[in-house]
Amino acid sequence: MSFTQVARSCGRFAAALTTVRIASVAVQTQSRMLHRIAVPAIGAQLTQFFTVRNYSVRNTMEEIEHRVLKVVSAYDKVTADKESRCRWQTQSVRSYSAKPPLSLKLINERVLLVLKLYDKIDPSKLNVNSHFINDLGLDSLDHVEVIMAMEDEFGFEIPDSDAEKLLKPADIIKYVADKEDVYE
Amino acid sequence: MAQVPLAIVSHKRQVCSLYKRAVRNLEAWYDRRNVFRYRAVQMRARFDENRNKGLAEGMRLLACGQQELFETKHYQPRNFANSAGGCAFEREVIPPDWLLDYWHPLEKAQYPEYFAKREQRKKEYVVWWEKQYGKPDPKDLGHH
Repeated sequence: MSFTQVARSCGRFAAALTTVRIASVAVQTQSRMLHRIAVPAIGAQLTQFFTVRNYSVRNTMEEIEHRVLKVVSAYDKVTADKESRCRWQTQSVRSYSAKPPLSLKLINERVLLVLKLYDKIDPSKLNVNSHFINDLGLDSLDHVEVIMAMEDEFGFEIPDSDAEKLLKPADIIKYVADKEDVYE
Repeated sequence: MAQVPLAIVSHKRQVCSLYKRAVRNLEAWYDRRNVFRYRAVQMRARFDENRNKGLAEGMRLLACGQQELFETKHYQPRNFANSAGGCAFEREVIPPDWLLDYWHPLEKAQYPEYFAKREQRKKEYVVWWEKQYGKPDPKDLGHH
């Protein structure tokens, strides 16, 4: 943009401002007298008059609506892509340091999901009460891996002395629920 | 108290413990998950190839493994935040409920309604307990 263009646009802007100021002053003086006369039709005529006198480009309702909806839909596309990864963007309430709520059902689902995703366990055989070593055919090192996966899932360390007693998914669920103080 | 060893730990449990610590050590060294998984599978293969050795050989290998773990230990291992060694371990201390029973009577007198209700609740809890589990054995009552 050249200097002359800048100057011209500044001048236009100033002109627009002064017209607005004059218009508002005129409205004030007119309305000061109008409240005595109290004819509503004249007020309507006045507003019509001033909308005609407006020099700046005025967006219609449809144009504004179109622009807003375009921005919103673009934002929607962004969040729809990311929704699987970051749910906090669409959450209306952020719980700053609180843990996500746990219930026995939720712990059950999470434990079973982790076990189903473990490649040495057959998901069709998996049950809440199936023994890791006797029923599912894991060895003791696999059991250690299962316990480590549970540590990663629930975010706390399971000491070895407790881990050796957790031989069924039901035991793990009970242990996690006791640890997190979940009882229903 | 869970970490205090109170009994002689069997060879099998020592090997499992060594495996877990070794994999966690690898996890601390390799932050890329795929690289870590590759190393973890290699570590598992090393443990598996010595599966059927005798106890004497196994004990020698265990000592070697512990030595190797000691030598390759990460200088800043990753710990779970709320577990022992983590940055938030025992950060939040929740006072137990029975602490209220040990308030001074003058302190309790400042909240008369609450403590009256609390005494009532304790009586109801005793009734519930006896209904659920039966009367306690008189031999078990005194612990002195």
